[in-house]
Amino acid sequence: MKISLNWLNQYVKINLPPDKLAVKLTNAGLEVESIEYLGEKYKNFVIGKVLGVPKHPNADKLTVCDVDIVAQNLKIVCGAPNVAVGQHVVVGLVGATIPKNQHDPEGKPFTLTKAKIRGVESNGMICSEYELDIGEDKDGIYILGNDTQIGQAFADFLGLNDVVFEVGITPNRPDCLSHIGIAREVAALLKKQLMVPSIKFKEDKELVSKNASVVIKDSNNCPRYSARVIKNIKIGPSPKWLQNRLSAVGIRPINNVVDVTNYVLMETGHPLHAFDYDKLESHTIIVRTASDGEYFTTLDEKGRELKENTLLICDAEKPVAIAGVMGGLNSEISESTQNILIESAYFNPSNIRRSSKYIGLNTNASQRFERGADPNITVYALDRCTQLISKIAGGKILKGVLDVYPKKFKPVKIKVRLSKVNSILGTNLSSEEVKSLLGRIGIQLKNILKKKDKDSVLLYEVPTFRPDIEREIDVIEEVARLYGYDRIETKTTSYIKFSSQTPKIEFNDELRQWLAGRGFNEVITNSLLSQEVASLTSENVVILKNPLSREMNAMRTSLIPSMLEIVRNNINRQEKNLNLFEIGRVYFSVDETEMSTLVTGYSEEERLILVKCGQSDFLNWSVHERKSDIFDIKGVIEDIFLKILLDKYKFIPYHATKALVDSAISIEIQNIEVGYLGKINDEILKKYSIEQDVYVAELSVDRLKQLYQSDKKYKSLPTFPSVIRDLAFVVEANISFAELSETIKSLGGGLVKSVELFDLYTGNQIDKNKKSFAFTIKFLSEEKTLTDEEVEVVIEKIINGMNSKHGAEIRK
Amino acid sequence: MKEKIEELKKLTEVEIANCKSLTDLESFRIKYLARKGSIAELFDTLKNVSPEERPVVGKALNELRSNTQRLFDERKVLLEMSVNVETKIVDLTLPGRRRWIGSLHPITQTLNEIKNIFFRMGFDVVFGPEIEDDYHNFEALNFPPDHPARDMQDTFFISENVLLRTHTSPVQIRVMETQKPPVRVIVPGRVYRNEAISARSYCLFHQVEGLYIDEGVTFSELKGTLVAFAKQFYSSSIKFRFRPSFFPFTEPSAEMDITCFLCSGKGCRVCKQSGWLEILGCGMVDPNVYKFVGYDSEKLSGYAFGMGIERITMLRYGIDDIRILFDNDVRFLKQF
Ligand SMILES: [Zn+2]
Repeated sequence: MKISLNWLNQYVKINLPPDKLAVKLTNAGLEVESIEYLGEKYKNFVIGKVLGVPKHPNADKLTVCDVDIVAQNLKIVCGAPNVAVGQHVVVGLVGATIPKNQHDPEGKPFTLTKAKIRGVESNGMICSEYELDIGEDKDGIYILGNDTQIGQAFADFLGLNDVVFEVGITPNRPDCLSHIGIAREVAALLKKQLMVPSIKFKEDKELVSKNASVVIKDSNNCPRYSARVIKNIKIGPSPKWLQNRLSAVGIRPINNVVDVTNYVLMETGHPLHAFDYDKLESHTIIVRTASDGEYFTTLDEKGRELKENTLLICDAEKPVAIAGVMGGLNSEISESTQNILIESAYFNPSNIRRSSKYIGLNTNASQRFERGADPNITVYALDRCTQLISKIAGGKILKGVLDVYPKKFKPVKIKVRLSKVNSILGTNLSSEEVKSLLGRIGIQLKNILKKKDKDSVLLYEVPTFRPDIEREIDVIEEVARLYGYDRIETKTTSYIKFSSQTPKIEFNDELRQWLAGRGFNEVITNSLLSQEVASLTSENVVILKNPLSREMNAMRTSLIPSMLEIVRNNINRQEKNLNLFEIGRVYFSVDETEMSTLVTGYSEEERLILVKCGQSDFLNWSVHERKSDIFDIKGVIEDIFLKILLDKYKFIPYHATKALVDSAISIEIQNIEVGYLGKINDEILKKYSIEQDVYVAELSVDRLKQLYQSDKKYKSLPTFPSVIRDLAFVVEANISFAELSETIKSLGGGLVKSVELFDLYTGNQIDKNKKSFAFTIKFLSEEKTLTDEEVEVVIEKIINGMNSKHGAEIRK
Repeated sequence: MKEKIEELKKLTEVEIANCKSLTDLESFRIKYLARKGSIAELFDTLKNVSPEERPVVGKALNELRSNTQRLFDERKVLLEMSVNVETKIVDLTLPGRRRWIGSLHPITQTLNEIKNIFFRMGFDVVFGPEIEDDYHNFEALNFPPDHPARDMQDTFFISENVLLRTHTSPVQIRVMETQKPPVRVIVPGRVYRNEAISARSYCLFHQVEGLYIDEGVTFSELKGTLVAFAKQFYSSSIKFRFRPSFFPFTEPSAEMDITCFLCSGKGCRVCKQSGWLEILGCGMVDPNVYKFVGYDSEKLSGYAFGMGIERITMLRYGIDDIRILFDNDVRFLKQF
């Protein structure tokens, strides 16, 4: 909200520079987001009088004007054809920044310096409307009336000698949505007196009650409605001071009546509305709720279909306003308006909020009503408005106020325990200190219920302009705020009870660290994507009701799509060798009868995705290029399992049923599928415009967490040395590594500790339909040192067994 | 036969010493070790040796072959190690054999540091769902239906009562629902806001929430804990201020600022000339929240705080556009 410093000064005398005041307000919870010095633009511009216009000695079209600006007389070279003796003009002094340069095609501003023009010194510039950025006229200088004051700063002449604060008001403080509200806070902070305008005006003899009536049909939603009638007013533009006030806080002046209602709104915080009295059928106001589908045209000329429960202000026949939100076109103040009815009401905050949400209109009025206005200020605001209108627009004020207020709002009384104040804040305040702090913002001590030093119990009364204060804790907050958060001790010791579950290094963090060490870069990607893409990997997609765009209207069901976008973007930037991973969630809708989840009907799963594409390794001068393939990814997965002590895993190749990958391998641990790996299929790559192979693995972190062994146990090291032998077998091409290594292990009778493949060969040296596997086999006994003969016996057994089982020939 | 073997042995020993380059070495290999080399030829003649002698000669031949192979291997290593055996000069300016190095995302790194500081202060870590119900995200946190405070957070809805959590605070409620006091936890996680994507805001970001409930917890202690955190995380020399603010689930509520470390408090573009940087929101848990979870607000008190990890990360590394964090350009990632 915009707050004008000049305006504020009307209610409290501020003796601080603007920036210091801003700090005070911010520290009291009224955050000043920016300070605007309105006059800044016209610094160094003053009003001057032209005393003489002698011709320039070296140029026909120029004059060397003699200009009186009171402080001194200036010689200014001027080229305007309309300059003449006696004129009051606007002078830009040396150092002034001319807002718009006439000689620049874009009108860029420039700063005046003392300059010689054709040999004559010029000490400033007489400006045109265009140069001052107040009009379009470039043809001559801007001439003011002769009643203007010579020597006056041009900013002051325009009423721009103000400072405007942008204050962020939190939703709990409707009382601060006005200048008096802020002034009350300032007065409390600076320990000054708050001065609220007193009201005096003369009423006519004619009774308002004979001329209009108010009926509230829904007192729940409209607890109070006050109104006055003024007759024979004259609609016209507002005086300058009023227009300046409104412009400063960002409100466009319209006409004197509307401007005054806005002025009083910004002054007191209470929204008012003026109706054209003669357009109110039977001069009657009826407050009722709308019926479903009722139609109404608001001031902004938009037709709106209403919902049941929308509160309406009506005359005897028709609606004339949506209560607390906006008036109607049918009863608007126009140039021909002569008589007006001014409304000052109090509406139920949630009703106004619902109306405003439903209609989609957020106005100055609705904003205040939905946060909670003060029901007891209606007549004050009404009278303030009446006073100003009669002063500015004339007219006669009918006698009396129509004030329907069936059930009065009384100030809330709250019991405050001094011990609670101090135990929540960690302070040691006395009841006297508390009383004096609260008194500054009008929270009065009504009674001392128990007087006992630190255990005193006090009864406070809270004025109705603070609807946010209802409970003891709310009062405690005010105490803290006014005392100052910075004065509350910053206690650096704490009494801690030991936690039951000391934090271990999280599984995820361990995994992340390990992958980074293994050369993978972690990414964090958007979990929102299009429904179309999300559906590729699951039928149970979670869809947003109010997405930002169609590209982000669903939750991801796999980490692959968002990763592919990252891959694509990097490849486009010539980063083609990628090792990436992400740990993130995927989301599904689930059948609530089949699966119970924290939030019924929805489940979330944490997953790990690994991606590799481009070169398999960092190239150097002694290593040759090799493209990544599926075994690079598979190797990483195997190493992860080794790292987290999961050894009962299986890789099961299957025909790609997963929509996104080819050559897929399912990964199972203890017969539970924990994920899969494969190559992204070509159609998907094409969709993402990726022109190189991408290998991927996606694993369920949640399942790995359940399965892995977090308790590491030491295994005793072998006592006896191991024997290592290399054996190569030639087999038919359709026999797999897994089959052969299984056979070797089982034939080894417990002496074979490991079987590693160190070469795989197909080619000229062997039959066309065959391949050769070369294994390194490690033999080890836990009971004794193996002799060569014992190893030979086992090898013989393996060679024979491999031959009979797989037709494998030993390769010499 | 035996003589031939002996002769070849001497010959190879002399010739290997004359191999001055890898080309020489290759000729050596072809001459002796290849499939049609001298040694292989000798093996072919083995069938002509009498059966009695054959094992002895065979053994000698095998020895010759392995000896020659050893000579070859050793010489090869030597020749490869230096470009020039004569001068023994190794080009030490050749680049080292490097591997790819990985990295953790800067958001992860910031989060890890935050977690570690709070771990040292005895906080546990807990998590909660990102798809959340209205009750946990708003109502139990004292955002009544139809309350303007709900406008503070633009929300993505999935159904009338289910939404993407707008903050990590619903996990406070979930922890208190399942755990008896004292509670001392931090909650890291992803949250969503229905805001147009720009340099300053993204549709999702990460928060760390903190909650401490016990007997006798005071605002004074809240300040102390957060100041201790900020001094460890930023610098022991920072100045700080707490200013009143509003969150429905805490009262009194505050925002914590620290002196802008970019301009040392003199005022710059990042701190909007104020000299202060807002780093977190906090406050004493509102008694209404205790009602929802069945805690006794007369016996207990506590505090909660929350901070945005992206914001802290951006301040820390001087990143001025939040989208960079989600762009995941590897040239960016590799800087961390
Ligand atoms: Zn700064």
